[in-house]
Amino acid sequence: MKLARKQRDVLSVEWVKLELIRTAYATRGGLISRMDPRVVIGWYVLFAMAPWFTHNLTTLACLFALASVFVVISRVGPLVLGLFVIGLGFELVYLVLAATLFGGDFTTFVALTEVTVKLGVVSLVSLAAFVSLDPEKLSDALLALHFPPAVAFAVSYGYRMMPILVEEFSTVMEGYQLREAPPIKGGVLGWRHLAHWAKIVVKAFYPIFLNTAKSVRTTVEALEARGFTFATIDPRGREIRLGSLRVTGLDIAVVAATVVAITGCYAIGAAWPLHRT
Amino acid sequence: MSTTLGTDERRGELRGTGGAGASTPQNLMIFVLSMALFGLSNIILEVVPDVSIGPVEFSVSYFVFIPLTLAALVSPFWVALGAPLGEIVFTDLLMGDFSGLAEVEGFIQMFLAIFVAGSIIRNPRSRGQIFLGALLIVGIDKFLSAVVDLAKVWIGVEDAEFVEGLPQSILFLESLGFGVDVIISGILFGAIPALWLIPELYGRLEPLLGLQPREPGKPFPGEAPKAFWFVAVAVLAGLGSFVFAFLEAVDLSFGVFEPDFLDAYGDVFLWVGAGAAVVVLAIAVILFAVWRKRRAGRGDLR
Repeated sequence: MKLARKQRDVLSVEWVKLELIRTAYATRGGLISRMDPRVVIGWYVLFAMAPWFTHNLTTLACLFALASVFVVISRVGPLVLGLFVIGLGFELVYLVLAATLFGGDFTTFVALTEVTVKLGVVSLVSLAAFVSLDPEKLSDALLALHFPPAVAFAVSYGYRMMPILVEEFSTVMEGYQLREAPPIKGGVLGWRHLAHWAKIVVKAFYPIFLNTAKSVRTTVEALEARGFTFATIDPRGREIRLGSLRVTGLDIAVVAATVVAITGCYAIGAAWPLHRT
Repeated sequence: MSTTLGTDERRGELRGTGGAGASTPQNLMIFVLSMALFGLSNIILEVVPDVSIGPVEFSVSYFVFIPLTLAALVSPFWVALGAPLGEIVFTDLLMGDFSGLAEVEGFIQMFLAIFVAGSIIRNPRSRGQIFLGALLIVGIDKFLSAVVDLAKVWIGVEDAEFVEGLPQSILFLESLGFGVDVIISGILFGAIPALWLIPELYGRLEPLLGLQPREPGKPFPGEAPKAFWFVAVAVLAGLGSFVFAFLEAVDLSFGVFEPDFLDAYGDVFLWVGAGAAVVVLAIAVILFAVWRKRRAGRGDLR
């Protein structure tokens, strides 16, 4: 139990939940949240492809900085940003280990870092893009790009339901923890605590399965009552739903500025090339 | 265990279920349910720290018992579509962990694994079949990704200077990781919970979705049709997931094992990446077309 309590003090579950809700419902404002969702997806693809066409470390560093700028102006929350930084940190540790294992030296490490930076750029851009899009906008964009309607619905359902599901799960978990005594002795490395925790997690899924099945059925039946399937068959339904999407001057300006900035990164890279040696 | 049926006898027709391709409300329910539950389990796993000793990770990759339970109790096809999407929507998009094309690779591998494993389970109360199903999900998914990883190194080493002992050590690490995954994800968090959960939920979960429980010997919605085109799609999908990985491989392997290739080959190699992207796109389009055909022609699946 000590283990669990320590974790909870560092990162309160309540805070994580609130932060997730804030992320899901988005709109901390920010530049990208005011853009047309289709353009945002195009912008994301453009930016995410950019780092894969070069091995020039200067260009990659510039792209990384540019992506960071976009993360700042789209006001990404501390939780997702924190998770990203932790992930990147673990990746670097793994790279060092891998490099030493393969008998590599600093060069190998730099070579591996290149891939990490590329993935980092992609991750930063997806942070900026997808945190700014609220579920409705994202699913509208997917629908506009001719994804199956079920996928578009799934995205918006997932974003909306996730905080509720997490809350429900933590309530059930707490119920099980209150009902079941934790092991008295920890054993080697506290494996008994781990086993106990794992058992409770698995057990908690039993009521969650049934509850979620019930709420999913309610949702889908409510959708059907409003003609969800019919709307996917009749093209007019799609038109009505996508009628609100407008590409404005802001969208064009942001995409143009991004293209110029990426070209600039490549130009800087060409002027002061830095390759692995 | 079951409250509804005492024997394995057939009783009545399955009601209210469409075919593998129908977009009936019930299929949508199964799709959304598997998405939500698998996504939730992935969020919970995000909180659990990974323990890695050297390059081998001793961690739970995913809770296999969740898609397995749903695939065994309801439709394997829609669960196989929903569960990997749940992972992408809940953890990857929301947490900003979206890795672009590699996600597609993961989606195809997971889809194949769940679909095949779910179709193997004919009787949800058979312990042997559940156990086999759990092992199959982890086995197929991890085997495909291990093969892809090995291919990356093989491609990288073929053109570069041969590094002493490298293939052996990679093969060793991959098989070690595979073994760890089968034990932790497949048995501890796959077969054992599923052996408890599936009989427990059998006959209780289905009525909530308005379905009749699956009965042994009856055809069920969304099982693997033993038709030629299914094999073709499966092979294409496997190939597709392979090609997706090559985009990374072009970069990673050459980057690691041939540090000065840029001087030797010039910028030509950068376009290998672009070429791979085009191939990837073509395969994705083919897959999508096949999938749509399958949706349209659902009449001849059964």
